[in-house]
Amino acid sequence: MPSKRPLLEILHRYRWRYALGAVCVVATTALRLTIPRFLWSGLDALSVAQHAQGTLSAAELSRLEGVVARAALWIVLAALLQAPVRTASRLAVLGASRRVAHDLLQRVFDVLLRLSPSFFLRNPTGQLMSRCINDRNFVRGLSGPVFMYMAETITLYAIAVPLLLSIDARLGGLALLPYPVFLVLARVIARGIQEEARLAQEALSDVSEKVDESLSGELVIKTLAIEDSDYARFDERCRAYRRHNLRVAWLRALLTGSMMALAGLSTTLVVWIGGPRVVRGEMSIEDFGLLLTYLAWLAGPTRTLGFVISSMRRGLAAYGRIAEILEAEPELADPPRVGPAPTVGAGALSLRGLTLTYPPLSEQPHLSGSLPEHLVGSAQDRPRTVLRDVTLEVPAGTTLGVVGHTGAGKTTLARVLARQLAIEPGQVFLDDVDLCDYDLAEVRRHTGFVPQEAFLFSATLAENVALGRPDAPREEVAAAVRAAQLQQDLDQLPQGLDTLLGERGVNLSGGQRQRTALARVLLLDPRLLILDDTLSAVDPPTADAILAHLRPFAARRTTLLVAHRLSTVRHAEQIVVLEDGAVVERGTHAQLLALGGRYADTWRSQEDGAAQARRARELEPRGEPS
Amino acid sequence: MSGPDRERREGGLRDDARLAVRLWHFVRPHQAWLWGSLVLLLLASAAGLAQPWLLRLVLDQHLAPGKLEGLGALVATFVGALVLELVLRSAQGLLLEVAGQNALLDLRRAVFRHLQRLATAFFDRTPTGKLIGRVTTDVEALQELFASGVVTILADLLTLTAIVGILLWMSWQLTLVTLLVVPVLLAVTIFIRRHVRDAYGVMIGRRSRLNASLHEKSSGMSLIQAFRREADMRADFGEDNAGLRDAELRTVLWESVLSTATDLLSSLTSALIVWYGGGLAIEALGLEQAAAELRGAVTVGVLFAFLQYMDRFFGPLNDLSLKYTVMQSALTAASRIFELLDQDQVLPEAAQPVDPGPPRGEIRFEGVTFGYDPAQPVLRELSFRVRPGESVAIVGATGAGKTTILKLLSRLYDVQTGRILLDGVDLREYALHDLRRRVGIVPQDVFLFRGDVLENIRLGHPEVSEEEARAAADQLHLDEVVARLPGGYRELVRERGANLSAGERQLIAFARVLALEPGVLALDEATSNVDTRLEELLQEAVATVMGGRTSLVIAHRLSTIRDVDRILVFAKGRLVEEGSHDELLARRGAYWRLHSMQFSEPA
Repeated sequence: MPSKRPLLEILHRYRWRYALGAVCVVATTALRLTIPRFLWSGLDALSVAQHAQGTLSAAELSRLEGVVARAALWIVLAALLQAPVRTASRLAVLGASRRVAHDLLQRVFDVLLRLSPSFFLRNPTGQLMSRCINDRNFVRGLSGPVFMYMAETITLYAIAVPLLLSIDARLGGLALLPYPVFLVLARVIARGIQEEARLAQEALSDVSEKVDESLSGELVIKTLAIEDSDYARFDERCRAYRRHNLRVAWLRALLTGSMMALAGLSTTLVVWIGGPRVVRGEMSIEDFGLLLTYLAWLAGPTRTLGFVISSMRRGLAAYGRIAEILEAEPELADPPRVGPAPTVGAGALSLRGLTLTYPPLSEQPHLSGSLPEHLVGSAQDRPRTVLRDVTLEVPAGTTLGVVGHTGAGKTTLARVLARQLAIEPGQVFLDDVDLCDYDLAEVRRHTGFVPQEAFLFSATLAENVALGRPDAPREEVAAAVRAAQLQQDLDQLPQGLDTLLGERGVNLSGGQRQRTALARVLLLDPRLLILDDTLSAVDPPTADAILAHLRPFAARRTTLLVAHRLSTVRHAEQIVVLEDGAVVERGTHAQLLALGGRYADTWRSQEDGAAQARRARELEPRGEPS
Repeated sequence: MSGPDRERREGGLRDDARLAVRLWHFVRPHQAWLWGSLVLLLLASAAGLAQPWLLRLVLDQHLAPGKLEGLGALVATFVGALVLELVLRSAQGLLLEVAGQNALLDLRRAVFRHLQRLATAFFDRTPTGKLIGRVTTDVEALQELFASGVVTILADLLTLTAIVGILLWMSWQLTLVTLLVVPVLLAVTIFIRRHVRDAYGVMIGRRSRLNASLHEKSSGMSLIQAFRREADMRADFGEDNAGLRDAELRTVLWESVLSTATDLLSSLTSALIVWYGGGLAIEALGLEQAAAELRGAVTVGVLFAFLQYMDRFFGPLNDLSLKYTVMQSALTAASRIFELLDQDQVLPEAAQPVDPGPPRGEIRFEGVTFGYDPAQPVLRELSFRVRPGESVAIVGATGAGKTTILKLLSRLYDVQTGRILLDGVDLREYALHDLRRRVGIVPQDVFLFRGDVLENIRLGHPEVSEEEARAAADQLHLDEVVARLPGGYRELVRERGANLSAGERQLIAFARVLALEPGVLALDEATSNVDTRLEELLQEAVATVMGGRTSLVIAHRLSTIRDVDRILVFAKGRLVEEGSHDELLARRGAYWRLHSMQFSEPA
């Protein structure tokens, strides 16, 4: 069970609201309990008089009228007094619950902001959203209505029980006898509800995840015409959700049923035993009526107690799921520090035996429900080494080209250097300081990383480009757009730089997205430039133009250039060929060609195309291109 | 980074009625549960209503006159009524829950099915986060409607009527005076209703916005971190979050006002009964016993029963007001859901789809003009033909509209003018499903689903056996790639395939389409992330697989399309050149320029 501390801290923040709410609840309840006193004093007077039917004097009748009128007046007074207090209690407690939900969600978001990219890979967005929104709703119930009903119930018990006992200790005690037994029973059922509610919330997360997946993959689903099977997957999850909900409902019915039985049992005991005693004159009708009324007061909350307990348990289950996020440890964090924080200098990189091994899946921290159970212990559930003993020196201001087959570890290397993946300390040094000793912000400030897949926010093109420098002057944004060769595409966009992109705006092509992502980095002044096959979807002439513009920019920076196309990296001061996470060849373009290894092979096959093109050109009639 | 959201005012009672009718459509298939629940509820209510009556008898016939005999039987009946009520109520609640959960399931399915039908253009401008909220959170809000909703309210109304009947029978004067409160209550409720509804409308709008904001920010979190925009995003999210909180606080305010008003009225009624009823009782006390009985005068027992019934009267009434606010929340959610279901941006399907016969693989674009925004055409007056079995490459600068051609070919969008024919039949005359089965598209953005590699290859096509899927994959030399993965073909694809490299993802997407053996194969830069060695293998495989099949290839590297039969060169949405590689080079036009730029020796 995750720690309740964060919730308690937030609740503590609103302790005065809750205190006010609790006081008001006590006051309302107390006022409400005075009403039967007046009611029964009136009724008792009448009932005594009823024995003397038809023989009462006028004076006696008018005295009775006075008693009755006084009772009515008291009731009105109590009600009028109660109304504002009651409103205050609701506003205080329910208001606090909305604030608690808000603060909790804000806290979750703060944690999300700190969590490493790997967390978001392990835990699908749809799942996270369900925790943030759907589970939040149940926590809201826990911190509002549940608190209020609980306060009301406790107050009622605290007031009504002594009253009950003061009227007739024996009979009152007898009426209360079943309570402890039932409360123990309720506890057992409640635990079942909590577990089943957790599963239900998990199932709802699955539904949310599936919707996210289907909407994001909408294009693929349509073009492959697999709507039916996609629907079947969705349906399966919805059914699971219904199944768990019905189990919760079944348990809740059991719980509320036993609570109602408890209330009924008490009343029956009083009527059964008290009735004859009234007849025998051992007990006044007023006492009997009061006993019944107080029991009825108790019965109300006792009946709802079942509902309250189940809401509480569901809220706790939901909170547990939120707390899991709160407790997630960021894999990347600023190191503990005593002295001044190191600052990035010229940007000289030194990799000394960089090895990166992912722990087995089942040992990676997962939010519950995010790790498919069938994987645990399977062939996939074992450690994987993705980088092996990579040793490299990249002097400041030089370019390192990284090539290699698909899956060789190129992107992993880029992400390690961009501080997106955690590594053990002592393996990578930036300006002779361990990369892990820097504050994350410091490294990120000086790193310009363009990932393979460009993500665009729902914002204008200019805002997307200015992601790293929201206050950049417009001319600079325009210059970055030009350098990324995006200028030519601006004509197609309805509002040029101010065109809204992303989900609410225009969809850019893959190449346009990549160039937007590149422009983002060009607007910065990073010491370290990391381009992870950034131009894969850009057509070669444009890519060449970009590279030409990039060259002076990259010349002043330490650059890591990941590419499939060898021509992209041929100008690099140093090129490494990765295979299975290890460096297998290294050198300059010329050295690698001379080596006659993998690089040279690949170069030759890529050059075939170029050679054929040259031949084609030679065959052509002489003349200047138009 | 989220735009303004609509915060509309909801309509009046008539809209509610319309919503109720539409919701009923989802409940109707499960109405047996509902009626069962209603019957049980009525029985339970009857058992409940009998209890004060029995207590009244206890008071009037036994306790007041001091008569013991027959008391036991009366108490036993009371206990019976109590137990009966309890059992019936529990069972009733369960039946209701079953009906509600079934209806919710149906509603979720309907929304999902509708989302599947909606055209791609709809998704281009609707944030995913919002839609996720519709299917999960908003449908969830309707659960309240079913759980505490229709049946209970119906039963409450019946209970109220029954109580009024009993009260009238006991003392009509007292009843009429007591019921004076009802019009007041109605007036208050109607006044507050408007505010409650508005508050919920705003609340749900804000929740959608928060959903969208959260979705976008979680999806782009690594960028936010890399560009150190955490503080801004925190503030931005905080604004949306606070917006939701403030909207919720307004709903709390109105709920509290309504609840207090009902409570106050209930207490005032008790006072009225005591005062007026007491007066009547006293008046009766002045009469002879016989005369009093003859006139059906108010006795203490009657007063007691009255008070008890009023409790039961105000219980449902109080509940009704509470449920009313819950209902408002549910109805607001329902209206948003129906708004989505009413969203008719669906590509019209031919009522009588043409059977185009066996696939030949002929594609014809005739004067096609298209723009995602009609004012900004991406393709202009485009005409070309691809013969059956021919392989054609489309080249041109980024943004020339190449990808759009493929999107039109699988009819993700409809053309604005002109037409596209596949095997001689206009795309719009196909059954959409048939059309898309004939055209296999490997899109630019590879999207992998949760599941393992093999599942992703067989995606949604149970007729493709595991062996066929493996065969398709092996043809692409995917077996070499998956050999690297500990799980092999059973390696789990995690969050959109982030655990696979870009090249691996593309190969899977490619195998996925090959496994379906479509008549027309369209590749959109499908090889851009595959390294050279794999690319060669891939091309070899494509050549084998495509033998005799029409193919349309979009590639940026001209080297990858040398072997195609014909090349179409695009610029700014127009076809500017076409011909074979050699012809086009000889023409020294746009293609020649593209080509020489690509293969020119860098200076």
